[in-house]
Amino acid sequence: MPLGLLKYGFASKYPARRDIPAPKDLNKSYDVVIIGAGGHGLSTAYHLARYHGITNVAVLDKGYIGGGNTARNTAVVRSNYISPEAVAFYKASVELFKNLANELGYNQMYSQRGQLTLAHSDASVRTFTLRAEVNKHLGVRSEMVDRKQIREIVPCLNMGKNMRFPIQAGLWHRDGGTARHDSIAWGYAMRAAQMGVEIHQRTEVTGVNINAGKVTAIETNRGTIQCNHAIQAVAGMSSVVAKMAGIQLPIRSYPLQAMVTQPVKPFLDPLVSSAGLHAYVSQTARGEIVIGGGSDPYELYSTRSTLDLKESLIAHTLELFPFFAELKLLRQWAGITDMTPDYSPIMGESPVKNYWLDAGWGTWGFKATPISGKCMAETIAQEKTAAMIQPFHLDRFKTFKLSNEAGATAASH
Amino acid sequence: MDTQINRLPASTGLYVDHNESITFSFEGKNYTGLAGDTIASALAANNVWLLSRSFKYHRPRGVMSMAGLEADTLVQLDGEPNVAADRRKITPNLQVSGQNYNGSLEKDKNANMGAFSKFMPVGFYYKAFFRPKGIWQKFWEPVVRKRAGLGKIDFNSPHSYFDKCYKFCDVAVIGSGPAGLSAALIAAKAGTEVILIEQESLLGGSLNYSRFDAEGKVASATRNELLEAVVAQPNIEVLTNAVCNAWFADNWLPIIQGNRMYKLRAKEMVLASGKMEQPAIFHNNDLPGILLGSAAQRLIRLYAVRPGQRAVILTANDDGYATALDLLENGVEIAAIADLRPSPIATPIYEQINNNGVSIFAGHTVYAAAARSDKNHIQSVELREIIGQGQCKNESKHFDCDLLCVSIGFTPTYQLALQSGGKISYDDETARFSISQLPKSFHLAGAVNGFNKLSSLLDSGNQTGKAVCDNLGLDTKGITSQQTMSSTSNTYGNHPWPIFPHPKGKEFVDLDEDLQYADIVNACKDGYSEIELVKRYSTVGMGPSQGRHSALATARLVANETQRSVAEVGVTTARPPFRAEKLGVIAGRSFEPERLTAIHHRHKELGAQMITAGVWWRPGYYGQPKNRDQCIRDENLVIRNNVGLIDVSTLGGLEVRGPDAAEFLNRMYTFAYAKQKIGMSRYLLMTNPAGTIIDDGVACRFSDEHFYVTATTGGVDNVYRTMLWWNTQWRLDVDITNVTAAYAGINIAGPNSREVLHKVCNDIDLSPEGFPYLAVREGTVAHIPARLLRVGFVGELGYEIHVPASQGEALWDALLEVGKEHNIQPVGIEAQRLLRLEKGHIIVSQDTDAMTTPQEVRMTWAIAKKKPFFVGGRSLQLIDNHPSDRKLVGFIIEASQNESPKESNIILDGNNIVGHITSVAYSPSLNKIIGLAFAKADTEPGMQISIKLSSGMVIQAQVVEMPFYDPENKRQEM
Amino acid sequence: MKILNCPLNGPRNISEFICFGEVTDMPNPNELSDEQWADYMWMSNNTAGVVREWWCHAATSYWFIVERNTITDEILKTYPANEIFKERVEF
Repeated sequence: MPLGLLKYGFASKYPARRDIPAPKDLNKSYDVVIIGAGGHGLSTAYHLARYHGITNVAVLDKGYIGGGNTARNTAVVRSNYISPEAVAFYKASVELFKNLANELGYNQMYSQRGQLTLAHSDASVRTFTLRAEVNKHLGVRSEMVDRKQIREIVPCLNMGKNMRFPIQAGLWHRDGGTARHDSIAWGYAMRAAQMGVEIHQRTEVTGVNINAGKVTAIETNRGTIQCNHAIQAVAGMSSVVAKMAGIQLPIRSYPLQAMVTQPVKPFLDPLVSSAGLHAYVSQTARGEIVIGGGSDPYELYSTRSTLDLKESLIAHTLELFPFFAELKLLRQWAGITDMTPDYSPIMGESPVKNYWLDAGWGTWGFKATPISGKCMAETIAQEKTAAMIQPFHLDRFKTFKLSNEAGATAASH
Repeated sequence: MDTQINRLPASTGLYVDHNESITFSFEGKNYTGLAGDTIASALAANNVWLLSRSFKYHRPRGVMSMAGLEADTLVQLDGEPNVAADRRKITPNLQVSGQNYNGSLEKDKNANMGAFSKFMPVGFYYKAFFRPKGIWQKFWEPVVRKRAGLGKIDFNSPHSYFDKCYKFCDVAVIGSGPAGLSAALIAAKAGTEVILIEQESLLGGSLNYSRFDAEGKVASATRNELLEAVVAQPNIEVLTNAVCNAWFADNWLPIIQGNRMYKLRAKEMVLASGKMEQPAIFHNNDLPGILLGSAAQRLIRLYAVRPGQRAVILTANDDGYATALDLLENGVEIAAIADLRPSPIATPIYEQINNNGVSIFAGHTVYAAAARSDKNHIQSVELREIIGQGQCKNESKHFDCDLLCVSIGFTPTYQLALQSGGKISYDDETARFSISQLPKSFHLAGAVNGFNKLSSLLDSGNQTGKAVCDNLGLDTKGITSQQTMSSTSNTYGNHPWPIFPHPKGKEFVDLDEDLQYADIVNACKDGYSEIELVKRYSTVGMGPSQGRHSALATARLVANETQRSVAEVGVTTARPPFRAEKLGVIAGRSFEPERLTAIHHRHKELGAQMITAGVWWRPGYYGQPKNRDQCIRDENLVIRNNVGLIDVSTLGGLEVRGPDAAEFLNRMYTFAYAKQKIGMSRYLLMTNPAGTIIDDGVACRFSDEHFYVTATTGGVDNVYRTMLWWNTQWRLDVDITNVTAAYAGINIAGPNSREVLHKVCNDIDLSPEGFPYLAVREGTVAHIPARLLRVGFVGELGYEIHVPASQGEALWDALLEVGKEHNIQPVGIEAQRLLRLEKGHIIVSQDTDAMTTPQEVRMTWAIAKKKPFFVGGRSLQLIDNHPSDRKLVGFIIEASQNESPKESNIILDGNNIVGHITSVAYSPSLNKIIGLAFAKADTEPGMQISIKLSSGMVIQAQVVEMPFYDPENKRQEM
Repeated sequence: MKILNCPLNGPRNISEFICFGEVTDMPNPNELSDEQWADYMWMSNNTAGVVREWWCHAATSYWFIVERNTITDEILKTYPANEIFKERVEF
């Protein structure tokens, strides 16, 4: 029994902690208004308050804390990307994850159980090898493993040659893992609030006021608030909010679906994904199997579920784990992803002065939550896009200097 | 039969056959049940109520709803975990055990976990387990993972047969209770095709187990009448034991029946799914022996099981009294009835109970239940008088009992309705949920829409049936329906606050997750006061029952704690599926397309190792895997020094015909085609609008208005579709056809290829002058009409021969036959890749990636700059103003014994990654390692590049001019 | 699964179709600055609401126009592309 729980056991009245402050009125103005109280927005708020002394901050959300993609992702944290700038960025995020619970005093249950990505084609073997080589060079724990090693890592995997596309090799990423997704937002919210940051749920942004090319105020369903800086961290709705500031983005919104089974006794520690089969699988600490796949085939802002995606995803999952046939699916859900042409985020300066972008989070937003907040806070505090996120600047599209990530993202979110 | 002490006589038990006994085992002990029994009903007949242990506290749990709604009935079968014991039928020798216990189910070593519940407050795992740093992963997570989960999965479970079937109908009716049956009848009488879907084995729904009158007769009479009418209606198809497990857009319904999933498309959808009875919240409300009233009725009427010997009833509506009557009639003693209402309504059913002399305590609740000495079953209850919302007097009355039946309210079975976009609201007066804002083709009928009395259920069904017909434009005047005695609407009796906290806790709101009253309240106190946050923080509703028994109580508690209305708080999003569904059913059979070339079987006969190329199978090389490298080298040398055959049938083929054919190619590809000579081929490079290389091939001009265009194996479908897309906008006078499948292709290549070909081709002048390099001809080869292309992918004299696919094998055989004297050999794809590398030809998607431009691979020679337009052209101009910092170069390394570079090894400039190897191989023709790599843009022949090998060692390679082999291209032009 | 009414093949499951994004009027590439061309190339309206899109029936490679609502997932209208693209395009 950890000491931290003793006070609950011996208290006569529940010692409530009030992690998330009670609703209150909006002020007339703030130094910084953060649109979106998801992981990214709250991480930015926390880093502003904790490391830059900026606490006159309001975080606004049209719904509830962490109710967007923070609540809907499949909790994978990894850094086995392909472009050097992305590897460096996500590696820094992994480093922050390692200490996050202790920094915040809130357990994110982060654990590096390793991620195995399976290659079923020569092309995948080549791409994975490149990822492994780039990762190793930059100090990320990734390596190519052969069929024998795969069998040792996940003994229950179907290694049969009778698969339509038999497993040829794998990318074994020891730094890969999971964290409890919701609790990232809650932990940041709790600490940010303790330092004076205001969090306003059910507060929908309806407009962005700009004067002489600079943001001056944010309009909400609860009134207009003046601000010196504003940042949008609303993955899934990035284009809609950016339009309020007159900004067009290279983003298309697609639903991404995932599903979970009833809990069974844990048997699968690492995360397993397959690029060729567009499926990835992990088992939670509750014993549920979480299954995710590729994005939906057409643009949509609705989080409805579909049968066809479920059918193909589960069929592919059963190729990897035939004995899953007897498992029972409990629930399927969806989130809306900001897909960018180069599978990389859009961060930093926008065409509007002091209006900062944290967008384009596709299927890779959750794992970037700590580092994004850190970089965005630095960006706002210095009024200049932080060096680490310079490659993700919106201007890259003007010169066609896109980030070359397309090969690393398919179905291993 | 004598062991089944709770079995009722044969006059009851709709589902069971009293003449057929079945023996099965539970926890290693044999029991006898009847055919038609579920695991739970058979065990109940044997007075076994304990089925499993709860998720967190390992509390003893048993059946509560008899409707497969809760986690506590989940049991383990051989090879199948988490089986709902109250839905799965017993079969001879079925082996069943409980789940989630340590030691034995009866005496779980972890049964005392609940004693520490105060040390495990809501969200406790967020509050601790992380100091010192790293301790979660090292210590606590393994502890948690060891305890997590319910049933056990079997890696070797036999793979059953699952399949799928499509169905279409006018009207799908989900649920065959009084409302569903009457709706189906109206719709069918109006002439529609109806599919009636019932999850139980018999039609009837609540008519089969509920009691609607004091005499207990009207249900079966109504049932018989309706079922007779349904049977008489040929356009009603009945699916029983079938669960409509979700609603998807445009009434696309997955109906699961055993191991089959029907995918049903219905024009109109009627949801007559009924209602779900809700538990009350009091101390020890989870003990085995505490049943919902409807569960007791199901046990009696469906399974002929007496649910106990001596019962207490907790109620707030007429249904509790109806249950009491059912119990009395079946030999169960009623110790007391506690009615939450201060003054119960004197209905005929109530009066009958009252006249029976049963003690009724109005304005009372069950404040606590107590377990017998083994802690595994209810033994008594404590009644207290209610003095306020959730508050009771301190005095209590105790009643011994082995059964407590709870009837205090319901929720509609709303899942499918909410999935369709329906909104849920809460009426404070009736204390119930209702549903609105449904799609036009989605209808509710009966209890799911709030109705309760039989007459109003029937009326509701009739009205819905008519509404469906209206939507379909059908006339329903003159259709007779079941006569109802009343048309007044009414709703079921929900008590607004059947929630009674206790100083000792264990008043469970969510049994799946072992969440008590305080957990929900404290989640709000911690600041998690939005319903979705309460769910995520406390895990309420996240278990196997997905909130079916906890959503209403949670909404009430959160509303109360946050001073909002229940409607404002709402419920969490309803998601598919309705019931947990086997992954095998969702997956069905596996259908994976494969494409074989016309020559596939010859390759197999020749001992080829087949490899995949997209959905195609192609010969990799001919020989044993252990000799792989040698085979590839030998095949390489066959082409270089002699003559070989390569099956190139998978290459894409497109016919482009019409007056605008050349103009069309000019727009689609980077090169210029207007002036291309008839009888000649020309290289094709396709970029996307952003200027990225996406395909290549050759254009063969057979006439002014006819090009035969090749495309890559993996790219052709997209190329074809893209061409059609552009021309839908351009409206050029051109016809485009994908003829990939219509042609087989064989490349005969090598210095002796002309000689061999000459033996079977007499109508084409094969001389170097008559049929020069890059020319194309039509003629016959081995009497087969053929197109011949002199192309140079492998860098030797060679001819691609394209013939109708049906003749591919014949051509292959003929060429092998006449090539015998030259010792002609088949050559696989691996050798072809090596041959092209020696010539420095790129393979699109191997030597290019999602951003590669023609500039980067030094193919600006293939860009016709003077054309007014081609796809990607404007972007390439822009890119010229912002040059790339990488380019593809050729390099060589003297072959040595040391570690060889591999494809994807990185290229370094200092410590910076500047590129990687895209292709690399040992060239037997050159006795060197040759390769292509992305390097810094200023890299030129004669310079060195640094390759970081997989071992970490960095080696230098020499950048050279390409091609590596035959730099003057003399051999291919022979 | 939604039903999409193909102008050529009639109502079919939406899984038989490929969505190719919004119908845009391609500006004359030779009249745009690099920056304008880059914007045209990469930026997306990503409309939350009614959009007019290219769809293709995969089995028949038939391209047509769909108007649908990206918030409600409703298909409002489908019609042949020649209702918009009426004339031969010259460069």
